[in-house]
Amino acid sequence: MSSLLEMKENLRNFYSRNEVYLLPIFKCVLAVVTLMILNMNLGYMTKINNSLLILVIGLMCSFLPTNLLVIIAAVFVVLHSYAVSIECAIVVGAAFLLLFLLYYRFSPKDTLVVVLLPLCFGLKIPFVIPIAVGLLCGPASSVSVVCGVIVYYVIHYIKTNASVIMSLEADSTVSKFRYVLDGLLDSKAMLVVLISFCITTIIVYVIRRLSVDHAWTIAMIVGAVVDVVILLVGDLRYDTGISVVSLVLGSLVSILIAKIIQFFVFNVDYTRTEFVQFEDDEYYYYVKAIPKNTVAKSQHTIKKITSVI
Amino acid sequence: MLSQERIKLMTKMAAYEENEGKAYMSIGSYFRSDYMGMQVLRSVIGATFAYLIVCGLYVYYNLETLMQDIYKTDLMVLGKQVLLYYVIFVAAYALLTYIIYSFRYSRAKRSLKRYYRHLKQLAAMYDIEKNNH
Repeated sequence: MSSLLEMKENLRNFYSRNEVYLLPIFKCVLAVVTLMILNMNLGYMTKINNSLLILVIGLMCSFLPTNLLVIIAAVFVVLHSYAVSIECAIVVGAAFLLLFLLYYRFSPKDTLVVVLLPLCFGLKIPFVIPIAVGLLCGPASSVSVVCGVIVYYVIHYIKTNASVIMSLEADSTVSKFRYVLDGLLDSKAMLVVLISFCITTIIVYVIRRLSVDHAWTIAMIVGAVVDVVILLVGDLRYDTGISVVSLVLGSLVSILIAKIIQFFVFNVDYTRTEFVQFEDDEYYYYVKAIPKNTVAKSQHTIKKITSVI
Repeated sequence: MLSQERIKLMTKMAAYEENEGKAYMSIGSYFRSDYMGMQVLRSVIGATFAYLIVCGLYVYYNLETLMQDIYKTDLMVLGKQVLLYYVIFVAAYALLTYIIYSFRYSRAKRSLKRYYRHLKQLAAMYDIEKNNH
């Protein structure tokens, strides 16, 4: 444990020393990965399906605000949708505009979740996001999780239905539009995942704020269980086609990742918990103080022994 | 002369000014009523655009039916209904904005109060140092 703590301290020191270089690199990598995955999954517009263009945008994103990546990714999705059909682009553009107008005002800091959630869906571990958001952010961030789910299902819908939409007659624009909109709004899987992730985020937040020992661990386990139960009930009710094995495995991996997050963010020693009580002119204070797990950095001293013969 | 306590306090305050304090200071520069009014107004504008988009999608979705029934429909009743839904939607969104931003305003004020207390402490440290010389 002490070696892990020492490694954590070293990592923290390394990051704080090189933050100026590391942050732009992270931003650049995130932008490149996001846009490449978008192009791999959609890729209908050949003009923007270009590695050089992605690299240039990635380099631009390295010094631009993170929120701009969300807008660039949204533009990419709309352009790919446009290559499928103009009706598809209208629906997707309207959906993104609604999200931007109604949600962006409240949680501009959490926009990264909107990018990370579709990426985690691709890695089959989307369950980590509601748990991590519940642990690290406030209850209002559940809106970001909801938006991330919507964005993922929009992309998923275009990917799976592009050939059908393209094969529909070109002159029946209204019927094409209806087909796309119906397909998005009638997605029961999206509805179930949306409700499950929203509830999970709030539950994890509420539990980790409780004044009980191991609140963070309890929060992540209860959150994962609630998530699995809601998704399974939703699957039974609406036949959303969720694989039980991947759901359970994904949840277990999510708990593991959440434990790693906890190690870096909230690593305390419950065995040394202290309860103190005092008062001032206005209040009585009942304080529970839990010491952080820390380790003193090992000092390497070089002793020079010189002997004269 | 360098004072370790003062440098610690100043570092803490500088970090605050660079990070969370930046947003809180801009919030704190407004009176509560001005800040809330501005946020609610922004929300009303945003909600209006969102409502227009939803209406546009609805019209395009039901274009054929609407075109067929356009002469049979009482446009006044339809207009009133659209307006009623608009008012309900904007009012609900504005209320949500009011609740969230009043919470954020009081949080910013609380945080700034702590910052000003640190400022006073810093001023007191300077006074003590000055008197000692």
